[in-house]
Amino acid sequence: MESNLLRVDLTTGEIKNEIIGHDVFERWVGGSGINNWIMWEHFLTHDINCDPRSPDNIFVFGVGPLAGSGAGSGVKGRITFKSPCYDMFGDSAGGGKFPYMIRFTGFEYIAITGRAPKPVYLHICNDEVSLRDASHLWGKDTKDTHAILQKELGDYPSKTHTLSIGQAGENQVGIAGVVSDALRIHARCGGGAVLGSKNLKAIAVQGDGGIKIKRPEGLMKWSDEFRQSLDKNEAVYGFKRRGTLGAVEMYQHIGSHFWRNGQGNMFRGDDITSDNWVKRFHKYSEVCSSDCFIACDAKYKIDGTESEASKEYIGESFRRPEYLTTGSAAGALDVRDWAEVAHWGKLTNDYGIDNQDLSCSISFLMELKQRDLISDDDVANLFGHSQSLEWGNMKDIERLVDDIVFQSNPFGKMFGDGPYKGALRYSEMMGQNFMKYAMYGKGGASFTEEMRPFPTWMNNMAVASRGADHLKGLGLIEKFQRRDLSQIYFGGPEAADLTIPDYKGASTAIIENQVALLNSYGVCMFHWMLDPAGYMPEKYYGEAYRSITGVEHDSDQLMRDGERICNLEKAFNSRVGMRREHDTICERWMWEPTDEGMYPGSVAADMFEPVLDEYYQWRGWDVKSGLQTRAKLEELDLGEVADVLEADGALARG
Amino acid sequence: MSAQPQKELVTGETWYQPGDEIPNVGMKLFALRNQCTECNVCEVACSLVHSPDGEINPQLSRVRIDHAPEKPSKVNQEGLGFVAEICHHCGNPPPCAEVCPTDAFYYDPKTLAAVIDQDNCIQCMECVPGCPFDVVFVAPSGELLKCDLCGGDPVCVKACSTRPEMLNKGKQYNRMPVLFYEEQSEFNRLSREEPVARDEVGIMQAMLEAGKISSGA
Repeated sequence: MESNLLRVDLTTGEIKNEIIGHDVFERWVGGSGINNWIMWEHFLTHDINCDPRSPDNIFVFGVGPLAGSGAGSGVKGRITFKSPCYDMFGDSAGGGKFPYMIRFTGFEYIAITGRAPKPVYLHICNDEVSLRDASHLWGKDTKDTHAILQKELGDYPSKTHTLSIGQAGENQVGIAGVVSDALRIHARCGGGAVLGSKNLKAIAVQGDGGIKIKRPEGLMKWSDEFRQSLDKNEAVYGFKRRGTLGAVEMYQHIGSHFWRNGQGNMFRGDDITSDNWVKRFHKYSEVCSSDCFIACDAKYKIDGTESEASKEYIGESFRRPEYLTTGSAAGALDVRDWAEVAHWGKLTNDYGIDNQDLSCSISFLMELKQRDLISDDDVANLFGHSQSLEWGNMKDIERLVDDIVFQSNPFGKMFGDGPYKGALRYSEMMGQNFMKYAMYGKGGASFTEEMRPFPTWMNNMAVASRGADHLKGLGLIEKFQRRDLSQIYFGGPEAADLTIPDYKGASTAIIENQVALLNSYGVCMFHWMLDPAGYMPEKYYGEAYRSITGVEHDSDQLMRDGERICNLEKAFNSRVGMRREHDTICERWMWEPTDEGMYPGSVAADMFEPVLDEYYQWRGWDVKSGLQTRAKLEELDLGEVADVLEADGALARG
Repeated sequence: MSAQPQKELVTGETWYQPGDEIPNVGMKLFALRNQCTECNVCEVACSLVHSPDGEINPQLSRVRIDHAPEKPSKVNQEGLGFVAEICHHCGNPPPCAEVCPTDAFYYDPKTLAAVIDQDNCIQCMECVPGCPFDVVFVAPSGELLKCDLCGGDPVCVKACSTRPEMLNKGKQYNRMPVLFYEEQSEFNRLSREEPVARDEVGIMQAMLEAGKISSGA
């Protein structure tokens, strides 16, 4: 397998094509693995401690070899950069048609550096690549940007698909995302701010080239078997019907939501907790990412009869809310009307901003107000206008979103980098420590779910390479108490037992490797959750990967490849100064017990340290400093990475 | 999925010319409008199966997904959906073959699908506007592409994310599939005796909506 990397220097306008050889795939699998490597090499010649909003930062887009190539497991593109909101490794996945279409242009990887003198967009039409004026797009939201570009560029030689930033990215808001086709957002870590700082409004692609499959018979046989296994899998039908929204009911049952900035773990309100909204939605058609056998997504169009608040949004049409759209609105902000939850999803997508960081920033202030820790005068000072900071008041929440997106007042500027930095800045301004109410892990905003009873999830939040994160080490063995999987992985049921720390750090380490593989394949994680043999992408997708790429790695080698990818992300963070003390979580999770749900009285502190120790041990890293060892890196064929870390004083001693 | 190089399909022993009296069609392939999720699986699978050297390219697919919100159907009145544009296998003779100046269209004796013999085709593109449903496509190379039913085992139907096998599993999931490939032995007789308008909806869907035929899916 070979691929093309498009290098674009926006400062000089220079565009060149580089071949990514088969050897790079042998080592980095594809997708996020190759992205990481491109970024790592970039920061060998550029200052890794640069301001992420400076021209020195790099923005890499990549799509893995299984995406759109008949594997039928969705298409996920990957963006990788140094995060402007967290100042560490940053990456984010997104689906939709853009990563599908870009494969047919011949360029599967794009590396963008420098800064354009004025707003531009990048047009890739097969091998014709140009930078074009984007002054007519500047100031537009992602929906309009996409529509204008589609109209401007037309349907020949193929439909136009776009990756664009909204107003949040233009204003370099740290938590701005990048949106694929105005529908699906690469939300996390602030990729939108990086593109905004580079004056790159959008990337538009059109292509009619093909993807060459190394062994088509192997792929077709695999695909046949894969489909048959899906047909037998009951879990698929629930997924098809409700997508991630299926989690609302189950999480309500076990107490795993994130209510009012984490003060509770169950949703309130009859409308939110009922299943009716999904039923009401389902009269509308499903929509789908590309090349996916499941099609879990759906569209909605509000006709005003759905709920009290729906009268406000008659005619609005967008994708059905995902679980985290719901978790951030109905959970963190306590919005109790489904039409408002849906509107929240559309609003954040149009502006191109991450709804997790956004909701945790807003809910932090709401809690301060609820507890009378700040006065009306303090609020007026912060906003420059009156602001109720009332839970669930959608009109007020919309104004708060505008404040952040348009950076129009001290609140917007202070919380543009998410709740952790926001809370630090606000505490400093007020001369009072409010960090107790900030919800974060490793500097990243909380994922809006309850964590405390689940030691693997707590560990995920503390160690993930891009800050608090559920998509790097997804602790499903434990949350769903899958003894069968624990048996497969560790030869015993311990990993599924919530009451003991055993194998919790180990689960994180192994699943991080697997997730790194999935992200490098370029497929969606949902298929992995439906794997009947247990979540094993090295086995499940192994044959598809080999047939498509001709990289003949067996399951063990693929797992080692996944581990190598994780180690490079870790090395990046070690180079920017992150050590064991950064692998931590916020005070509420650590010390404040849950008081509702299936597991009342849980605090993370009970098991946090032993689980973290075990994670480092399974990783082969130094337990005391959290740094990587030369022995482990050399075992993974990363000797040159160890040399760089040693020169930076970021390698474990001894 | 079975790889079926197109060449095999166009070298059958007995070929029916357009206008010949042909036996009744047993199996019919058709797509319901606005039921499609735009997952593109059919395009990917179709192009791979028809590619001699293992290439995936939606522009080489014989089925294309179109966004047509302006074409609501009785099945989906909201009209928010996508449309799988694929040959409706019009019956005898098909309009695409009627306009062909070199008689490059033949019937595959096994499936009775009209297929294009690429050796006889001069790429004049008369069949593109000649098709009432815009489902004869042009590849980037100029080659004309039309559904050939994969020799009787259409891969798009097997791969579709709303394929019948995945649907209607109790209360969990209940909806209409997009692509049908099923026994419709009365189609030719009915379409001759009681013709319905060849409008945008398509013959099969029109007949289904008019209650002239029924579908098990």
